[in-house]
Amino acid sequence: MAGQTSFIRNLALYALLALTMLFFIGPILWFMMLAIRPPSSAFAMPPEFTFTPTANALIYTMVDPGENAPQAVNSMIVAIGAVVLNLPFSVPAAYSLSRFKIRGKKYIMLWYLGLLMAPPVAFLIPYFILMKNIGLSGSYLSMVLVLQTLTIPFSIWLMKSFIDEVPFEIEEAARVDGASYLTILTRIILPLVIPGLVVTSMFAFVFAWNNAAFPLVLSSQKTATLPIGTLGYFASTGVTWSYIASAAVVAMLPPMIIFLVFDKYVVRGLTFGALKG
Amino acid sequence: MSDNSLMVSDVRQPRNRLRPKSPNNRTKTYLPVLLIAPSVILLILLIAYPLIFALRNSFYFWNLQTSPEPVQFVGLANYRMVLSGPEFLPSLWNTLVLAVSGTATQFFLGLAIALLLANKLPGMSVSRAILIMPTTIAPVVVGFLFRYMYDPSGGLATWLLNVVGIGAPAAGILGSVNTSLVAILVADTWQWTPFFAITLYAALLSVSPDLIEAARLDGASALTILWRIKLPLILKTALILLILRFMQLFNTFDLVLVLTRGGPGTSSRTLGYTLYQQGLVEFNIGMASATTWLIVIIVNAIVGLYAFFAFRKWDW
Repeated sequence: MAGQTSFIRNLALYALLALTMLFFIGPILWFMMLAIRPPSSAFAMPPEFTFTPTANALIYTMVDPGENAPQAVNSMIVAIGAVVLNLPFSVPAAYSLSRFKIRGKKYIMLWYLGLLMAPPVAFLIPYFILMKNIGLSGSYLSMVLVLQTLTIPFSIWLMKSFIDEVPFEIEEAARVDGASYLTILTRIILPLVIPGLVVTSMFAFVFAWNNAAFPLVLSSQKTATLPIGTLGYFASTGVTWSYIASAAVVAMLPPMIIFLVFDKYVVRGLTFGALKG
Repeated sequence: MSDNSLMVSDVRQPRNRLRPKSPNNRTKTYLPVLLIAPSVILLILLIAYPLIFALRNSFYFWNLQTSPEPVQFVGLANYRMVLSGPEFLPSLWNTLVLAVSGTATQFFLGLAIALLLANKLPGMSVSRAILIMPTTIAPVVVGFLFRYMYDPSGGLATWLLNVVGIGAPAAGILGSVNTSLVAILVADTWQWTPFFAITLYAALLSVSPDLIEAARLDGASALTILWRIKLPLILKTALILLILRFMQLFNTFDLVLVLTRGGPGTSSRTLGYTLYQQGLVEFNIGMASATTWLIVIIVNAIVGLYAFFAFRKWDW
């Protein structure tokens, strides 16, 4: 009897799970299919669940003429640049906030967090004019620089949670031996938190990669990132959905892969280190 | 997790000893601040410039299409124009509706899924890893995805609504005044419910099983255990997640840009989109600057009040 009720219960749970997965993953698969659909099938009514796949749109966007391929490279340059520039600012700050008793630490931490809640659109026009005035308009550097308002606070929170986990005793032993704090940071702490550094960089990369607001006003035709490229198809006459989907799928892949590979740290990344997962 | 937090507090105690007592090396005292300073200074520069820029220009008449420089000091005229204009108040209302209902929907749906996953049946850990996928996608791309789903002639969502018998609006899901804001809400909820599901699931796992067992022995129902024991224990995490999500929703703009451009009329206009329209479509820098400062004031009031009440008792 008990076995039977738990069987029914499990069946119900699996049905719920299936429904949940269908709702959240179904649309992604449906959109990915759009990239390889023949155009006649894209808006068929009723929807066509089977079709002969074609690589035409993917080839058009990425290879020949491949207008979106350089944009993918631009996205990569900007996101990697944003991560690389952020580390020398955020790692020392995270170490300091993790290890020292600082007056008002709570408010500093909350201030960083507050920056992540700032309305991005409010900054677009001033940055647009600022970058024009200092001659950085349309440059990679302008985007990388402005993205620091997101990557630095994020990395400080996440890195701090990793440094918090390094036992204090390790440092104390080095202190007794007369090592300076900077030696301790670079020679002892950093090697120990390399996994944390990699995880932080990866999620900061996703943060920067997915940002469309800043490139929208700061990029030029040459430095446009992938989301801007997809927006371009929208503005031109006649929306070519298979091209949009092709470019968008390429934009979707790196964050998805990072989240799957670093699955163990996803909760930690999403909560800025507040939850270990 | 409970072991983890124990460990952290163990580390924290001796940390006080790090505060240099020996006067032999004075630079030590400043080191903690020196390590934080570069990040704070860079961030202040990056934040202060736009804020000061907007504050100054909110008092000027300036349209970038006609002049590269501010034209004329107009006092509070920009603020008056924004506040009495046809867009600001509907946008504010839509934004609040979106942020409040979106955060609540996503939190409770996420909690329900977290409780489902907590059954730990075979296959659920794989599902959990895949479930987060919508959250990883750029909001602009989510916008395209749903624009395709909502398409009036061949969208999957339109078709489903018609098949189920509810019927999609004749003007299209995005083209109808009644459904445009809901459509944005659904797209955002699709993207961010997994975020709550995954994080709340992890938070629930961190609650000690002994505690739950003890409550169960005392005759507490599953719902009582959830409300009275599990949720209070994950409150700290939940409070951070809630305000973050609320503010992200409050700032929604990419989704609106791709899905509806605020229309039809002002039915799906958010503050973020209104600002975009004023600044980057009409190039009315004066009015956009005034709107910016109104948003800054509203955002700071919300976050400040929230932080005051929610984080007051926190020990860091």
